[in-house]
Amino acid sequence: MKNSENPLPVTWPEEGVRRIPYAVYSEPEVFEHEQKAIFRGPIWHFLGLEVQIPEAGCYVTAQVGEVPVIVVRNDEGEVQAMVNRCSHKGTPLVYTPQGKTKRFMCIYHNWCFNLNGKMTAAAFERGVRGKGGMADTFKKEDNGLQRLRVHVQNGLIFGTFSDETPPFEEYVGPELIANMQRVCGKPLRVLGTYSQKLPSNWKLYIENVKDPYHASILHAFNGVMKQDRLTMEGGITMGTNGWSHISWSKMKFETGGEVYEEAEMRSAEISAYGFGLRDKSMTDVWDDFGDSVSMTIHTVFPNFVLQQLRNCLALRTIVPVGTHESELRWIAFGYQDDDERKLNGRLKQSNMMGPAGLIAMEDGMIGGLVQQGIAGSLDKAAVIEMGGHGIEPIPGSRVSEGSVRGFWTGYRALMGL
Amino acid sequence: MSNVMERITVAQARQLIADYTYTIDDGVLSDWPTYFTEPCIYRITTRQNEEMIMPLSIMLCDNQAMLYDRVEAIEKANIFEPHYYRHVLSDSKVLEMDDESIRMETSFTCVRTMLDGRVTLFASGRYSDHIVLEEGRCLFRTRKVVLDSSKVDTLIAIPL
Repeated sequence: MKNSENPLPVTWPEEGVRRIPYAVYSEPEVFEHEQKAIFRGPIWHFLGLEVQIPEAGCYVTAQVGEVPVIVVRNDEGEVQAMVNRCSHKGTPLVYTPQGKTKRFMCIYHNWCFNLNGKMTAAAFERGVRGKGGMADTFKKEDNGLQRLRVHVQNGLIFGTFSDETPPFEEYVGPELIANMQRVCGKPLRVLGTYSQKLPSNWKLYIENVKDPYHASILHAFNGVMKQDRLTMEGGITMGTNGWSHISWSKMKFETGGEVYEEAEMRSAEISAYGFGLRDKSMTDVWDDFGDSVSMTIHTVFPNFVLQQLRNCLALRTIVPVGTHESELRWIAFGYQDDDERKLNGRLKQSNMMGPAGLIAMEDGMIGGLVQQGIAGSLDKAAVIEMGGHGIEPIPGSRVSEGSVRGFWTGYRALMGL
Repeated sequence: MSNVMERITVAQARQLIADYTYTIDDGVLSDWPTYFTEPCIYRITTRQNEEMIMPLSIMLCDNQAMLYDRVEAIEKANIFEPHYYRHVLSDSKVLEMDDESIRMETSFTCVRTMLDGRVTLFASGRYSDHIVLEEGRCLFRTRKVVLDSSKVDTLIAIPL
């Protein structure tokens, strides 16, 4: 329904966040509105790691929705973020994902900007031999790069376009800050990066991340290998207003595993073939944080994931590309004080993640399958009722889609749906 | 004359690379581990990670058991849309050679075909191989697959 208050071709069902109208995954008007209301709106967006820009002039590029961004360390050692767009004609100022520079100089007309985004020079500003030059109305101080507000949390850099965005601590809540301190509380080492082109809307991916219900079912590897099952001790911790979350479990503490056999689950059928890992080195895990918590999947609304799968640590960002395409960017990391055994252990366990991930593989394709299934049914809606209707966590249980409903609570608030 | 030591030849190494490729493209995954020594290294990485000297792999197996685990996971546990590969290889460049081993590189492209007929250029890159002669048979001690692109279309289930 289109009206003046809701110009989008979506009517949210009366049931609220336990129904997700399929139109939000497919309609171009929704995609367009998300760019403004969410990605350039009051959210904190992950931009990169401090350790990637160790010295003044070191930069990495990021993408906030459609907007290309440069993250750079300035001469004072502070992290700055600005749009990668010359204020003259709009040309990008850097082209490589990572680099080091003294200043940003546009190749087109030589407009120059310092590491704070302030304009410092333009070619032929005063003309040639006293003729030509910029108009009297032109002022360099009015033509700096568009900047983002930056927050650095335990070496993770976040940025926002909006003045309305609450402080980061308030935006995610104290429990999520505590987990970032837990996982990123000592000097990090980047082990590598890669990305995946996903044939689906970005929200189908982030919903999948926020849904612990599927993890031991779709990912039969998880269920069979008893790496992560809903019968293990665990829970869901909600961030502020339910927008962000942590799902966690302890693999050493499991009770009631027979429900996997009773519910005729695929993983139980595969177990019956006698599938088990021949190689034990990948399951040779250690307790990184001294709390027996073997898995934490931690999101920051709208599109960032901090992952701890045993000792396999990674950051993921899902970048929207179009209604039916997104890019999933991965950064694998360990710690600077990792010895050789720990480094090798993390590298081996990274077989579980990424495009060839023994666990993560299905996450890359399931959204694309959903997108195929909902084609032509945009007036219909998904049913999200596991664990009730609301976003309150069930103590000690992950058998809930409450965190999925939490994402949609934030989404509706920003989108006006 | 004393016993004649058998020496590895480039032609033998090329034959190993060809046989491996047909095994993958024909979909006989269960034979994949038989092309490697024990221990071994099979890994897929990206050109960007190589240039940045980053150790992360997209896929990493360093012994026979891990190779068989990967086959079993693909055949029994992992879920993906069925598809086929078709590799096209270049000539190989020999980097180093002695009596028992060869280090060589070979460029490849890999086309992926889904059952519904979608055909895409899935990957391009180079194989960086360390091939050894063991009991008269050539095997990969190391096969490193370096993808030109850092972005993978959806997923890599079958090894390249």
